[in-house]
Amino acid sequence: MTESLISTLEDKIPNIKLNCISQGAEALVFESDTHPYYNDSKNCIIKYRPSKPYRHPKIDLQITKQRTIGEVKFMYKLCKLGIPCPNIITTDFPNGIIWMEFIGYKLENNEISSFKNWLWYLEKNGNDHDPLKKEVEFVCIKVGELIGKLHLNDMIHGDLTSSNMILVQDDVPHLIDFGLSSFSGLPEDKAVDLYVLERAIMSTHSVYAESYNRWLLKGYQQGYTNKSKYKEVIKRLEDVRLRGRKRSMLG
Amino acid sequence: MVVDLDKYLKQDKDYYIAIGLEGSANKLGVGIIKHSKGLLSNVNKAKVLSNVRDTYITPPGEGFLPRDTARHHRNWVVRIIKKAIKDANINKFDIDVICFTQGPGMGAPLQSVVIAARTISQIWQIPLVGVNHCIGHIEMGREITGALNPVVLYVSGGNTQVIAYSKNRYRIFGETLDIAIGNCLDRFARTLKISNDPAPGYNIEQLAKKGKHLVNLPYTVKGMDMSMSGILAYIDQLAKDMFGIQKKQLKDEESGEFITKEDLCFSLQEILFSMLVEITERALAHVNSNQVLIVGGVGSNERLQEMMKLMIQDRKNGQIFATDERFCIDNGIMIAHAGLLQYRTGGIIKDLKDTVCTQRFRTDEVYIAWRDD
Ligand SMILES: Nc1ncnc2c1ncn2[C@@H]1O[C@H](COP(=O)(O)OP(=O)(O)O)[C@@H](O)[C@H]1O
Ligand SMILES: [Mg+2]
Repeated sequence: MTESLISTLEDKIPNIKLNCISQGAEALVFESDTHPYYNDSKNCIIKYRPSKPYRHPKIDLQITKQRTIGEVKFMYKLCKLGIPCPNIITTDFPNGIIWMEFIGYKLENNEISSFKNWLWYLEKNGNDHDPLKKEVEFVCIKVGELIGKLHLNDMIHGDLTSSNMILVQDDVPHLIDFGLSSFSGLPEDKAVDLYVLERAIMSTHSVYAESYNRWLLKGYQQGYTNKSKYKEVIKRLEDVRLRGRKRSMLG
Repeated sequence: MVVDLDKYLKQDKDYYIAIGLEGSANKLGVGIIKHSKGLLSNVNKAKVLSNVRDTYITPPGEGFLPRDTARHHRNWVVRIIKKAIKDANINKFDIDVICFTQGPGMGAPLQSVVIAARTISQIWQIPLVGVNHCIGHIEMGREITGALNPVVLYVSGGNTQVIAYSKNRYRIFGETLDIAIGNCLDRFARTLKISNDPAPGYNIEQLAKKGKHLVNLPYTVKGMDMSMSGILAYIDQLAKDMFGIQKKQLKDEESGEFITKEDLCFSLQEILFSMLVEITERALAHVNSNQVLIVGGVGSNERLQEMMKLMIQDRKNGQIFATDERFCIDNGIMIAHAGLLQYRTGGIIKDLKDTVCTQRFRTDEVYIAWRDD
């Protein structure tokens, strides 16, 4: 149960008020109004990677450490480049804990303003909020641009889905969740990164996926200002797609 | 709105009977199922009348080739159909529909089974329904376990997919970017010359139970997808070094003991299954679900089931569903069941030319007319 996982964190950081807002695949995410060293507190996020009992302890330790360190390293680099993501507050590698700035706002349906929730909200409330209206196109392009900038700097997100982007006021997208990130200049790695996103959009927003993906790629082109490298990635993306479709499904 | 599943019910009948023919890989299966009219539910379950199977087994170190597998199916299909009808204790003219696997799978074996299906359809004057093999696994798994809307991990010789239902389709959230899990295990079994009887994966599992030392292998999860070819190449090389002419021995760093064949099987399973469980958990988080259903041949692996159970225990109201080897491993009954659902929603084949099989047939291509949630 989640409760027992939460109490393992309470033991590690006692006297901090914790409000669990998400149990993702590998991490529990908490909101807290207690800042580790400031008194005037804006809310912060505590991301905690508990040990996974299903994994062999050796594999588990390696993955937890590697992902926590990897995530923080990636966020520092993003910060340095001015690519929008939450600021790091503090970290505790051996325990798999990252403190970071809280970003985003609550949507009208009280959900967190992730790109996914935002799109879902518009998709569900059809008529007066046409999901295909200009605003959606605008945000998709912004998100694509953000990924283009990332790849321009040879940074691979590794888990691009609509839940790993958060919109802050005025619909500015920020990236989060860098546990699977890596640094690579290879067109193949960038193409797979895009392919993962494309498929995530198809499965999560199936009805409008085609338009969303088109706009995302349009933004990607705008963000990836090195034209020749951009072309290499797109060419590779076509190969990766073909591989996906053509993969023979037999033994 | 509730789907009307009885539009095609024959007069004077309050049930349906379907026969299913499966032969997309090395298993030939024929099953007969009965649905009583009305929606399927806890109190109106599908009834398995018979479920017969024969597996084509090859010598150690060899995989099954399409041509030989097709020959096996041709040789056995008539006998297996007869046995299924006898076991079910029905009159063949009471059958409403003949269901066959239309893909995905190996071309030649699919062909030899569809010929049998077409033939009995013509002789007995019973309509045909073509079934997607993966949909067969999913629907049978749901029916047997009662899982309502689970995230499905489909793991077999030819497939590795994480699937969830949304808007009349089973959508693929994560999958392998290269080879399938069963294929990966089978190929490693061939390298080690492990027996193919009853199945290479089963024998790897038995060896793995005796393994102790974990060998370091790459871990390659990409979002909700995973990749296995690099891991296979890596461990294949280790095995070749150890058991080839060089006889290079490997030591466990902590204990100083020598690494064995059993350790390699153990390590391969640990790393591959960790990745499978992780991508499944990612899909759960992504679609806000807490149910997992494991289907496909590799789903009968006890270690995989145990790991999945440990994962699900840490999730709020988590539930896990799995079927035993009768339904996990390829069989005819699942084709009959999914085919019958398709029949009940008007999905029969009207023209024989539409019975052509296809090696590639993605799970999300099928419109699921029998669900409306
Ligand atoms: N800095 C943040 N500010 C606001 N919400 C956040 C922040 N980080 C994470 N979240 C919320 O928590 C969820 C899970 O966090 P994420 O880092 O993506 O972990 P996981 O690896 O479990 O997906 C996100 O989808 C988002 O809703
Ligand atoms: Mg996330």
